Amino acid sequence: MKRLFTACLLTVLATLPLQAQVSPFDMSPEKPAEEPAPPPGQPTVPATPDLVPVLPAPKVETPAVRYIIPQDSLSFSGETGEKTWAVFITEDQAASAATLSLTYQNSLIVAPEWSTLTLAINNAQIVNEPVQSSENRKTLTVDVPAGVLKAGLNVFKMSTSLRHRTDCTVQSTYELWTEVDPSKTFLSFTGDSARRFRKIDDIRAIGVDAAGRTTFNLVVPAINRMAATAPMLHLAEALAVLANMPNLAVTISPAMPKEQLPGSLTILVGTDDELQGLPEALLANTPGAPLAAFVDDPATGGSVLRVRGPDWQTVTNAVASIVDPLKREIGVPRSFLSTQTWRSPDVPLFTAASRAKFRDLGVPTRNFNGRRLRTEFAIGVPSDFYANEYGKATILLDAAYSEDVLPGSQINIYVNDNIAATLPITTRGGEILRHFPIGFTMRHFRPGVNLITMEAVLNTRSDTVCAPGTGATSPTRFALFDTSEFVMPDFARIGTIPNLAGLSGTSFPYGRSDKPLPVIINNGGEKSYSAAATLLARMSVAAGRPLEVDPRATANSTVNSNALFMGAIPQIESTVLTQTGIAENIRTVWSDVRGVEPAADTGPTQVEFDQWRERLAGRGWRGQISSFDDWLNRTFNISLNSFSFYAGRDEAYAPEPAASLLIAQRANPAGDGVWTLVTAPTDDSLLDSVRAMTQQDRWSKLDGHISIYKGGTDEIQEVPVGEFTFVPTQPLSFSNMRLIIANWLSGNILSFSLLLIVFSTLLGVATSGLLSNLGRRV
Amino acid sequence: MTWMFMSICVLLLVTLPVNLQTQLIAGATVLAIMMVLKTLNAGGIWRLIALAFGTAIVMRYVYWRTTSTLPPINQLENFIPGFLLYLAEMYSVMMLALSLFVVAMPLPHRPGRPTVKGKLPSVDVFIPTYNEDIELLANTMAAAKAMDYPADRMKVWILDDGGTVQKRNAEKIVEAHSAEKRFTDLKALCEALDVHYLTREKNAHAKAGNLNNGLEHSTGELIAVFDADHAPARDFLLETVGYFNEDEKLFLVQTPHFFLNPDPLERNLRTFEQMPSENEMFYGIIQRGLDKWNAAFFCGSAAVLRREALNVTGGFSGVSITEDCETAIALHSRGWNSVYLDKPLIAGLQPATFASFIGQRSRWAQGMMQILRFRFPLFNGGLSLPQRLCYLSSTLFWLFPFPRAIFLVAPLFYLFFGLEIFTASGGEFLAYTLIYMIVNLMMQNYLYGAFRWPWISELYEYVQTIHLLPAVISVMLNPRKPTFKVTAKDERIDRSRLSELAAPFFVIFFVLLIGVGVTIYRIYTEPYKADVTLVVGAWNLLNLIFAGCALGVVSERGDKRPSRRVKVSRRCEFRFGDKWVPGTIDDVSVNGIRVQLLGNLTDQLSIDMASDVRFKTSATGEMGDLPIQVRNIRKQAGETAVGCLFMPDDPTDHTLIADLIFANSSQWTKFQLDRRGNPGLIKGTIWFFGVAMFQTYRGFSYLARQITGRDKAGWERT
Repeated sequence: MKRLFTACLLTVLATLPLQAQVSPFDMSPEKPAEEPAPPPGQPTVPATPDLVPVLPAPKVETPAVRYIIPQDSLSFSGETGEKTWAVFITEDQAASAATLSLTYQNSLIVAPEWSTLTLAINNAQIVNEPVQSSENRKTLTVDVPAGVLKAGLNVFKMSTSLRHRTDCTVQSTYELWTEVDPSKTFLSFTGDSARRFRKIDDIRAIGVDAAGRTTFNLVVPAINRMAATAPMLHLAEALAVLANMPNLAVTISPAMPKEQLPGSLTILVGTDDELQGLPEALLANTPGAPLAAFVDDPATGGSVLRVRGPDWQTVTNAVASIVDPLKREIGVPRSFLSTQTWRSPDVPLFTAASRAKFRDLGVPTRNFNGRRLRTEFAIGVPSDFYANEYGKATILLDAAYSEDVLPGSQINIYVNDNIAATLPITTRGGEILRHFPIGFTMRHFRPGVNLITMEAVLNTRSDTVCAPGTGATSPTRFALFDTSEFVMPDFARIGTIPNLAGLSGTSFPYGRSDKPLPVIINNGGEKSYSAAATLLARMSVAAGRPLEVDPRATANSTVNSNALFMGAIPQIESTVLTQTGIAENIRTVWSDVRGVEPAADTGPTQVEFDQWRERLAGRGWRGQISSFDDWLNRTFNISLNSFSFYAGRDEAYAPEPAASLLIAQRANPAGDGVWTLVTAPTDDSLLDSVRAMTQQDRWSKLDGHISIYKGGTDEIQEVPVGEFTFVPTQPLSFSNMRLIIANWLSGNILSFSLLLIVFSTLLGVATSGLLSNLGRRV
Repeated sequence: MTWMFMSICVLLLVTLPVNLQTQLIAGATVLAIMMVLKTLNAGGIWRLIALAFGTAIVMRYVYWRTTSTLPPINQLENFIPGFLLYLAEMYSVMMLALSLFVVAMPLPHRPGRPTVKGKLPSVDVFIPTYNEDIELLANTMAAAKAMDYPADRMKVWILDDGGTVQKRNAEKIVEAHSAEKRFTDLKALCEALDVHYLTREKNAHAKAGNLNNGLEHSTGELIAVFDADHAPARDFLLETVGYFNEDEKLFLVQTPHFFLNPDPLERNLRTFEQMPSENEMFYGIIQRGLDKWNAAFFCGSAAVLRREALNVTGGFSGVSITEDCETAIALHSRGWNSVYLDKPLIAGLQPATFASFIGQRSRWAQGMMQILRFRFPLFNGGLSLPQRLCYLSSTLFWLFPFPRAIFLVAPLFYLFFGLEIFTASGGEFLAYTLIYMIVNLMMQNYLYGAFRWPWISELYEYVQTIHLLPAVISVMLNPRKPTFKVTAKDERIDRSRLSELAAPFFVIFFVLLIGVGVTIYRIYTEPYKADVTLVVGAWNLLNLIFAGCALGVVSERGDKRPSRRVKVSRRCEFRFGDKWVPGTIDDVSVNGIRVQLLGNLTDQLSIDMASDVRFKTSATGEMGDLPIQVRNIRKQAGETAVGCLFMPDDPTDHTLIADLIFANSSQWTKFQLDRRGNPGLIKGTIWFFGVAMFQTYRGFSYLARQITGRDKAGWERT
């Protein structure tokens, strides 16, 4: 057994360098692939028997479980990791005793004596655990001291500090990881009342399930009544905005769900007559009670939300009583994007030049003695952000590094995981940086939330020596101060169409329209409505307000307005396809998608080629030339696209058969509104794919003119924006115009050159005219 | 106004914050177009278009430099030198802008001379002198007397400041004695040549005072001024006086200064025969540009002025030590006009040694600083706006030692101390700075191409900077302190040697050389910032090349024949005993002639043989005898070439010499045109780097010899 283990260890170690060979500009694959597939012959690590009580058997004695991690996996990699988010707790839950369970596993090479995993709730440290469970998952169960949890939002902060057992290199830090298992990490409350909701605001405590998802189950017996469509969609949106959870799904069904899991809520919607078919216990009417109110569900011990009335007019009003408090005036910009439930603090929205201190962005002062310090914060930009091509933001860095830090160390800035700037440390002997400006490109900014990562990569003398033990216990060598600032310059603001990134970020342009959004759900029924409700819920969360919707039947009625088309491809009208730039043959491509394997990726040759190039890089003079070439590419990033004067009309697009969802956007036929099409081969794949696509991490990848989701491989592809139109969103002031032109010209390099040539020539001619009239002539 | 509109359009366009790629492509495109325009040698409107292109790129650079490259103000150790460098660059850009304005459309050559109807105006010809050789003065006087002009309308005056009463009664007996001797000798020479001799009580107000003294004692309507070593051609007055008839408010007709001898740079680098002289840029194009704006100014000599105008300002102004420019400002601001005539009508000498060259330039620089201080042209209400800009350009030019010095040391801040005074990446350097520099060079080449070869301006500025910087700083601190010092121009360098001012140049060269070493060291030990090091290192290397070339400039070549020979072709007769043999005068210099004689006469000739040459003078058409001494004899096919030294023993002999050299001004024009030619940026650069390498070597060989004290015969031919 021991020998076998050693063999395994060797195999794992042998594969490690490959995993760790992350190209410096790709931040994504830092965590070890979810559960690294064991090498052949290696026995799978026996999973620890689940220590967690299996979820709620509907018995009164079982504690109420609240999963706390709003995502399906949580991995901390590198020497430092941190996640801060907020969990809404009802008054009843706050009042009851709570226990926290936390399950984690870490990589083999983490040194337990120098590595910790901590969890703090509202700044009270609940868990402080040496990271020591590399062989199997370990579950910690702790009582949360009374008074720590409060009614309302509670800030959870989980952080890791990991050190390598033996290695002191920067490379080795990529091998460090700790995974927390969301399905086994939860709060459990004692007492019945902890599962009950009493008031509408308690919806915010809906929480997540074992996979980090939140589900609203709308039970609408009259699902196909025309009068029901708008209120139920609207209600779904309002619930979503209220709960504001990152991974949210809505189902609309005439029947009750089979069970009520954590992270889900059942909502009954209909007239009293229509609701009659539902369980008796839920139908009791207390005279004088609001029409939208919670009722206890004896079957589950929890609560269901009931929105009822004698007729649909009343039901609609009852829905409005939930929606109305969430409304926000059109044209009143938010100063924050509400992200607390998955990223705390809320993300400041920058609509003009301004600055924010790190401490307000949630970055504390840190003293660091490792090799790779990563900190991240998020900033929001509006959907009419139009400075990708030219813009530069700045970080005014307050930091210090000790004399131990060698030149060649660097500080990297990433925007949404793309490298944006590198500041080499070039002086020896330590230095204090006071508001040192690091400019970085805004190329990778997108509407909505943007993640900015600062990474200090430190080479030190002591790490070169790497005496045993010193790797983890060396004195502080780098300090980052929370007085550092992020500076947003004035940037160009104008909307562009199509812009799916805008839809993803802030529901642009629908989020700022004062008219109800015409929605054409071509095929009614549970699946279409569930998909539509899920998408609209997601869009409402992005917009920060429930969107007014206006269900319609045909595209014709929307030729001069905004519209959202949803349905499986057979139901989509051809005019909509043509208008949104989709080829008609999409129907044949998608006519039979069953049994089609995900198309093989055509990429590997490129990957192999790159690997070879990497191996040969820097050898001899050819290496020098190619590194110059690399530098040129890196520095100027010039592509042939930049050389066209006019983008030309995009060709109609047809996706591969493997695509399971297509989202496309274009101006409407009249050119005064925006059409968005969401379609899939079938109703089933529409629902599944919309659910997948509206999850936080995928939704934030929605971009371009068309986005494709491939369910089989869980891939998102985009068709970049070619032809586009401007939609003014701001008064066209001189300075805004100037920046808009700067951005446009930066993307149309030759146009700038041409303008420069034309203007200079005219200036020359004008000067010649002027000079022959001025001064002496002979 | 279209021009305003287009300017604003261009301004708005170039101040757009477009990204790096766009800048790179736009810069490269504009560069390519400028190259094509230059290759096609397009003139006229195309020249202005090309300049507009260049201007756009320069403005983009300024915008970028201002908004993105200054070090943060909270790092004072970087910010202060960084800001100084920025100021230096902005100064250069401003000077480029001013010179663009000045020479945007220089006046073309004036066609023909204006005719004078009726009586010619009366002219007083002033030759102010202080300490010049009497021999030299004799030629000038003779040439002045020989000018084509009715004798009764012209008086020639020697204004002698070397023989004033004050000088003759000096406390030091030796000085008093030599002043007395000069007074008598010069007076006698004047009498012999029929020239009016004038001196005064005291040497008050230097040259301006001297000239004003001349004004008081004379009455002519016009005043022609020649420096003691500037001899006019015969047609000088006829070419110039006509303009005064055309314009009643004309106070000045200025003509170029043409030099028969090379300046130290030309002599030591041996470029006199092939490359346009330094002052040709000024006289060949800048003065023509100034003339366009009625701002051509008085350069102290080779000019004609109107007495009536001078009386308005009480004569020549003397607040500064450059009385000429100051006088012109005073008159321009009172509404008088000037004309520049682009034709060399005088030939003169310029400083031969590096030390006297620096002395002359120090005077100009200090004088211009005084004008800036006391007569700041921008706020001079009497001047028109173009005139103000023109004078601003002429005076501010002399601040160049500051930016030059900064450019010289700036890279060392980074190389030696690691200071980052210019925050830009390698890519930005390429897209902005490099393109800007090339465009800047191309613009200069476009503006001055035929008159100034690439990098030569920079070299001249560099060699002057080392000694001008303290001079300019001192005049800034004590604006009234500098006094007029007469520049010595007739020195000879008998023996090759290092200039007495050479030491700092060697020190600087070594410091820069260490900089190159540090560059290499840093590239290898600090590969993470190799791109910046390479850029800064290249800049330092460029400085080193200038410094190396300057070593050649301060290594004075021994030269037996300092003044240039002018090709002529005149029939003459050569005396053998009492027999006259016909021959041709081939070339002539200030010191002698070469005569071609028919047949093999070597046996009849001997070195040091005294003889005479006689020829018909252009002035009177009579034969004149000129005593000579044979210096060398060379046999050629069917001919004998005899090199002769003038042995003037009678004042009238100078008239003959002047007649030979200065009679014909068109030969000077021809000589100038011969060496004008634009080698182009690339060829010119290659040529310059070649010269620089050789001169570095030459500088060191001189240094080695100076140190070892070797002084062999062969050394003088180096």
